[in-house]
Amino acid sequence: MAFPRFRLNPQTQRRFARFRRIRRGYVSFIILSFLALLTAFGELLVNSRALVVRYHGNYYFPTYGAFHPGTDFGEDYSYEANYRHLKQRLGAQGGGDWVLLPPVPFNSYENDFRQGVYPPTAPSAAERHFLGTDTTGRDILARLFYGFRIALIFSAFYIGFVYGLGITVGCAMGFFGGAVDLLGQRIVEIWSNLPFLYIVIIVASLVRPDLTLLVVITGLFSWTGMTYYMRTATYREKARDYVAAAEVLGASTSRIIFRHILPNTLSMLVTFVPFTLAAAISSLTALDFLGFGLPTPTPSWGELLRQGTANLDAPWIVSSVFFSIVFVLSLVTFVGEAVREAFDPKKFTTYE
Amino acid sequence: MSIAFPLHRLYLLALPACLGVLGLTGCSKKEVEAVRDNTAEVEAFYKAHADFFTFAKPADLPANLEWKDGHEVPEFAAPEAKRGGTLQGFIDDFPRTFRFVGPDSNGSFRPYILDYDFLYLIMKQPNTGQYFPGVAKTWALGADGRTMYFRLDPDARYSDGVPITADDYLFIFFFYRSSYINDPWYNNYYTENFTNITKYDDRTISVTWKEAKPDIYDRPAELVPVPRHFYKELGPDYAQRYQWRLEPTTGPYTVLPEDIHKGSSIDITHVKHWWAEDKPFYRHRYNFDRIHLEVIRDQDKAMEAFKRGDIDMVPLTLSRSWYEKLPDSDPRVQAGYIHKAVYYNEIPRPPYGLYINASRPLLNNRDIREGINYASNFQLVIDQYFRGDYQRLETTADGYAEVPFPGIKARPFSVEKAQEAFTRAGFTKRGPDGVLVNDKGQRLSFTVTSAYSNLKDVLSILKEEALKAGLEFNIEVLDNTTGWKKIQEKQHDIAFTAFSYSVEMYPRYWETFHSVNANKPQTNNICNLVDPEVDELITRYDKSTSMDEIRTLSTQIETKIRYDAVFVPGFAIPFIRTGYWRWVKWPKDFSVRLWESGTEMQIEYGLAWLDEDAKKETLNARAAGKTFPPSIEVYDKWKRKD
Repeated sequence: MAFPRFRLNPQTQRRFARFRRIRRGYVSFIILSFLALLTAFGELLVNSRALVVRYHGNYYFPTYGAFHPGTDFGEDYSYEANYRHLKQRLGAQGGGDWVLLPPVPFNSYENDFRQGVYPPTAPSAAERHFLGTDTTGRDILARLFYGFRIALIFSAFYIGFVYGLGITVGCAMGFFGGAVDLLGQRIVEIWSNLPFLYIVIIVASLVRPDLTLLVVITGLFSWTGMTYYMRTATYREKARDYVAAAEVLGASTSRIIFRHILPNTLSMLVTFVPFTLAAAISSLTALDFLGFGLPTPTPSWGELLRQGTANLDAPWIVSSVFFSIVFVLSLVTFVGEAVREAFDPKKFTTYE
Repeated sequence: MSIAFPLHRLYLLALPACLGVLGLTGCSKKEVEAVRDNTAEVEAFYKAHADFFTFAKPADLPANLEWKDGHEVPEFAAPEAKRGGTLQGFIDDFPRTFRFVGPDSNGSFRPYILDYDFLYLIMKQPNTGQYFPGVAKTWALGADGRTMYFRLDPDARYSDGVPITADDYLFIFFFYRSSYINDPWYNNYYTENFTNITKYDDRTISVTWKEAKPDIYDRPAELVPVPRHFYKELGPDYAQRYQWRLEPTTGPYTVLPEDIHKGSSIDITHVKHWWAEDKPFYRHRYNFDRIHLEVIRDQDKAMEAFKRGDIDMVPLTLSRSWYEKLPDSDPRVQAGYIHKAVYYNEIPRPPYGLYINASRPLLNNRDIREGINYASNFQLVIDQYFRGDYQRLETTADGYAEVPFPGIKARPFSVEKAQEAFTRAGFTKRGPDGVLVNDKGQRLSFTVTSAYSNLKDVLSILKEEALKAGLEFNIEVLDNTTGWKKIQEKQHDIAFTAFSYSVEMYPRYWETFHSVNANKPQTNNICNLVDPEVDELITRYDKSTSMDEIRTLSTQIETKIRYDAVFVPGFAIPFIRTGYWRWVKWPKDFSVRLWESGTEMQIEYGLAWLDEDAKKETLNARAAGKTFPPSIEVYDKWKRKD
């Protein structure tokens, strides 16, 4: 057959068309995608490294690749060039040399200490700290931005992990039924009663958690919910005539599952994705807030929120992160609602 | 669906805490065995250890003893202090027990009933370091340099009126060596460090320590009398039986049963007709009649209560409290209602810094360790993060007034010097990320382990700065217990931590730098320093009996440790800062050199007093909108001169 394996059926195509017509959700989706795309090229927007340096007739593009020691540009130190400083120097010197900095000329780790001023400092366009600095003088916008990117990467892995495990187990229980189902369900019930937070706290206090470990821990305690839906969906599809027909034709188990059942449950899975994304972002933020998340000094929303609530006299910290969370989670929720409405089975499915 | 973050499970965290509380109250209500009397058991113990417990006659006292009574020592309290009034204070948690030893006994309430509220045999003058009478009226040092003789003050009484006698001192060694208290540390301590106690009569004793050390006069501080009459019922059920029974005290304050409001507040009351009340060194001190301690678990809430005037004084040592929670510009400070004070004390500083594990690959190279010393920018942390308030630590043992190290300085931050040192170790090239690599392709990257989550900002600043010198720090902040365990098991590359030291005359080195404690788990040589020269010096140091020799040797040890570069000295907090309402009065010099407390400042040394007239005046002024001149004082008499 020439058809691609997972070609969407006309019903699903209609659902996507309907999604596009739900304006709020669709616009949210576009904004969210745009933000995700922005963070992918974040180094060009928020970075301490210059975009372009012209020095002694040569052009340098330091953004990606190896670092340039200060000596490359005639500075007297061997560590990474301070481009903000370099820009000032070259500007003062005149001549043909110049530096083009990104809009936010700070990375998310560097401490921008100034003589006589103690962090946190309030937002200042003149200093290019558009949202101010945190308690160690790091730029809040840079930390928000890269914190969001890390949250998105985390969510991507998390969704992959949770769905991979949840779908496999749920589908197996539904398809094979009987003892597998009975046993599987008991295991899922026991597993979902393990105290998630305890385990995370214990693990985080024993080892330094990194992104992979966090995905695995949070994922391990979140996949069980997916199994219930997959199990039911598989039971339902399995009883359909086309599955019986495929079986009669001699299709193998894997062929039935992958070619017939899974594609037909896809529409249900899609409706969950936005909500899982929201859950992933808030889980990571909550863990970071409690101090059990990503290792210091990784930029993260939870860590900013914690700083903000501990320093209410520096309201720019807590307000920037609060509004960011509200904004992003609202977008995700709008998308989720629109998807759910577009995929509502009552509108399109006919039962025999 | 259940993929959302399960916040409802937070309840599970709270549950064991409730169970714990239930368990405690359950214990206290449990029917305890009827009254016991352990007199026979104690007598038998004394007989069984006849070489330790000696019963002699007054005539057996050595004839040529030179008795001292501390009459030449200056008093340090303010004669103008007034007695009376109730100080409003706070405590961050309700005590879980009134016991001094055993489970849960090391809480924040303990200083109020033990550490700062007990008279030892002799006491140290906190400004001059001389000694003055405590429970002992006169004392003498024996010819062997390790036996001290004491004549107890005939007036000395416990808060329940029972006189303090020699028997209470003998009983110390029954009590702390007993398995009933379930505390192996005390068991071991009181077995290992003493060789004899002798009772000459009811008010004359001698105690013999194992070794003759120059700080022998500090040692009687270990001997708080244990009231034998109170512990007649001491037995295997000690932990439950004495859970909520407060031991009678030799000191000025006690807790009356009616003032205990479990979970919400506790009052400390001045002992009526306290026996030392009018004696030199004790008059004009401990001036509050009562100290009301409200349980306020949140620091910020306590601060708000203070600003309202519900609490009379608060500690402000942290930069955040001093500059942001109660800035000099606060209207109450500017109106002169609330006063602020900085008092520079002089006590052994906890040595915050980086402890480099010298048994790790690469870190076993002195050049690399020296490079790490130059690449750690603690000065920037002090200047910017701590706002220039803290001081750079220079050695492993700053703050010992008797043992200064004027010539030894920590290495300053210097990218050039760090790189020179790293170059000597073969790290010449920088990788694409700016981290140095050697010919074998190894990166100059180490993990810094710490258990201080509140100081992780310090580490993130050090990390950024170290990268300038081509050194990478990976930060690992673990939970308190796990972090400390990892460090003690010597599993770290570099540890960011500190030891807490009590006020002693000279530092200890054997525990932290002698090679017998290196490469072994659960010991404090966390640098794994193995240096035969240091070993030899420490051995001589520990045997030393003269202060001059101790000074010379410790200077040599510090010089050698600095050369070995296993410790990067960090920072020290050189002061105590406090805020107090105008009606709390302090002596002219404010406090004393050895002042060390945080929230317990209301009772340590008992120097402050309340002025009721000033309180009325201030409250009226506040109501009428009248102001006083603001008072923000700095007392830097004992500040280190750099």
